[in-house]
Amino acid sequence: MTNYCGYMGKVVLLDLSTGKAENYIWTDLDREKYIGGKAMASKILYDSLTGKETPFSPENLIVIATGPLTGTGAPSSNRFDISSLSPLTGITSSSNCGGNFGHYLKKAGFDALIIRGKCERPTWVEIDNGEFRFHDAASLWGMKAGETQEALQKELLAEHGKPVRCGMAVIGPAGENLVRYASVISGERAAGRAGMGAVFGSKNLKAITSAGDAVPSVFDKDKALEHHKRWVSYIRSHPLTGEQLPRLGTAGLVSSMQVHGLLSTRNYAKGRFEDFEAVSGEALAEELNVSNSGCLSCPIRCTRRVPVEGKTVKGPELETLGLLGGNIENRDLELLCRWNYELDELGMDTISTAGTLAWAMEANEKGLWKNGLSFGEVDGLSQVFDDIAHRRGIGAELAEGSKRLSEKYGGKEFAIHSKGMELAAYEPRRAVGQGLGYAVANRGGCHLNGGYLVVLEGLGMNVNGQTPRGKADLCMIMQDLMEAISMGGQCLFTSYGVVPAFMIRNPNGLLAKTVNAVVPWIGPAVRVLNKAPEIACFQLFLLPYTYELNYTVGMKMNIGKFIRAGERSYNVERAVNARFGVSAENDKLPKRLTDMPQDPKRPDTKVPLEQMNMTYYRARGWEKNGLPSEKKLRRLGIR
Amino acid sequence: MVTVKLFGTLRLDSGVREFTAEAASVKELYPLVLREIRAKKADTAVTERSLRACLVAVNGEQVSPRAKLRDGDLVYLFPAVAGG
Ligand code: SF4
Repeated sequence: MTNYCGYMGKVVLLDLSTGKAENYIWTDLDREKYIGGKAMASKILYDSLTGKETPFSPENLIVIATGPLTGTGAPSSNRFDISSLSPLTGITSSSNCGGNFGHYLKKAGFDALIIRGKCERPTWVEIDNGEFRFHDAASLWGMKAGETQEALQKELLAEHGKPVRCGMAVIGPAGENLVRYASVISGERAAGRAGMGAVFGSKNLKAITSAGDAVPSVFDKDKALEHHKRWVSYIRSHPLTGEQLPRLGTAGLVSSMQVHGLLSTRNYAKGRFEDFEAVSGEALAEELNVSNSGCLSCPIRCTRRVPVEGKTVKGPELETLGLLGGNIENRDLELLCRWNYELDELGMDTISTAGTLAWAMEANEKGLWKNGLSFGEVDGLSQVFDDIAHRRGIGAELAEGSKRLSEKYGGKEFAIHSKGMELAAYEPRRAVGQGLGYAVANRGGCHLNGGYLVVLEGLGMNVNGQTPRGKADLCMIMQDLMEAISMGGQCLFTSYGVVPAFMIRNPNGLLAKTVNAVVPWIGPAVRVLNKAPEIACFQLFLLPYTYELNYTVGMKMNIGKFIRAGERSYNVERAVNARFGVSAENDKLPKRLTDMPQDPKRPDTKVPLEQMNMTYYRARGWEKNGLPSEKKLRRLGIR
Repeated sequence: MVTVKLFGTLRLDSGVREFTAEAASVKELYPLVLREIRAKKADTAVTERSLRACLVAVNGEQVSPRAKLRDGDLVYLFPAVAGG
């Protein structure tokens, strides 16, 4: 039970080995400290995992967590999080998804679902108004994500005698076959990164459906509604959330990344792809985009819908355009859209698939691993993807990811990963703060968990991307802010509204130029704010999240507490990783990015990582080994 | 003669992808871009002011809007974008 609104007041622990569901104690004090989503999941993993578990052991947990704003009508608040030990990295990881499962998990009466153990045979689990039912999934095993969801609808119809409105989280063949970067699919949306689908597969868990009639309460309906309206109107008026994202989606970044030398090309050998226009957001909009769509309750609607095989399906995001475009020297946009669909259907992360493929192409070119794959030779790749998902032929090896392959065959210097997770499409040698973020990110090569500094270093703003000055502090504060934003269940894309509109509308103006020049110097101020967030005991319209937590949840929240919650989340995740052997030693990037300038004529076009790492640990108040001390954890209230 | 390419919402709004023009500087280019856009879409909402707010790249590298141009240059004009 809880005294706060927005929550359902229940966290449940489901043991697949015994079939028993029990209440997991989660208090209002926990809610105040961790709010929800990934932060909540990280604390549950911190309290439950000892450091001895492995990703595929039955003792590994899957935590599916929602935020208190999900289902309350707050804008873009439909996201849910899946956390577990990642088969790709071996450490804790999370994957955020815009599908409907979180919304319906709350309708079934739960804020979070913790899964442990293993089913004896392929199973799907039905959650119905707080009750759990186990069903044989033998007939579903082997099915792709879309057909699995259709088959589940039919089974639910047969069982209940009427169609059941529900949320689903399912895996495709990749998850069943323990592909280390298999995803979980909810509707058309993927919890793509970190191999959460393989953890499902290791537990013989094909799918979960969730349905119910519960509705989260709202603390102050009038104020909440008024605030939603104000926020939606701001989102719609902002050039990023009201124009770029709805009209071009994330795909709109390709051209800008090209100009800034940020577009991963030829397995990150270069930051520019000569044929970038063929696989750009503009080409997608002009040639293929049928319509837009969006996650539930989202006014931004950034999703592209494209035609594939006579159907209209979800189109590729920027990461997929970059990594299955220039990074493997593919110029065929229609083919790329088809791969995007096929990979979702197989239940496989497009980023890690593409990153592993690019590594394999280069390894083949260099004679390290003769696998028949070459840059620019794109015919037949659909078959390769299918082979990965079913672990056939070279697919069985590609299913292991670029880190393991480079350890086996050589070529570590061009295996573009951090902690085992392949990097997103932003080439960091022209945005060194983003490079730092990739290296220190708790879940490995993730642009968002890494603080997403590239948004300041060329995209959105024009802060010097080569200087390390201030980047450690900015990386920390951005990581903490993004942690905090997603705790409520909200989409991180709403945070682009935080970039002042004048920076976007007039980036050549004096004011924008001054801001860009000043940003690298604000490190010390950021550090003061981080040491004493209590000084920020106010709210800001540009950070509407605190208002939402006040009005919808009834939680007394200000900027300082919000930042502290983000910091706590980042630290608790790091503390779990420490149990699994993570330290400064793991905060690395491949030599291609740290030792080889992108532009041979400009020695500064590489990531000066060692220099920034130490500053980052100091900013975070961590030890030299890159870990939070006992004192730090106590100060944050984690211990 | 320089080649001009438009990107982002500017391209979607104007319907202009690419054209060639005689201009010795980016500054000289703005009225020519506007003329090209108006020829394609008379009721366009694009103004010279909104063009001046675009980022400019010449031969692939971002430059100042005050940059000079040389014969054969490839000029990109694109509004600032973020987020993915
Ligand atoms: S901005 Fe895009 S990803 Fe985020 S909630 Fe909206 S539609 Fe989903």
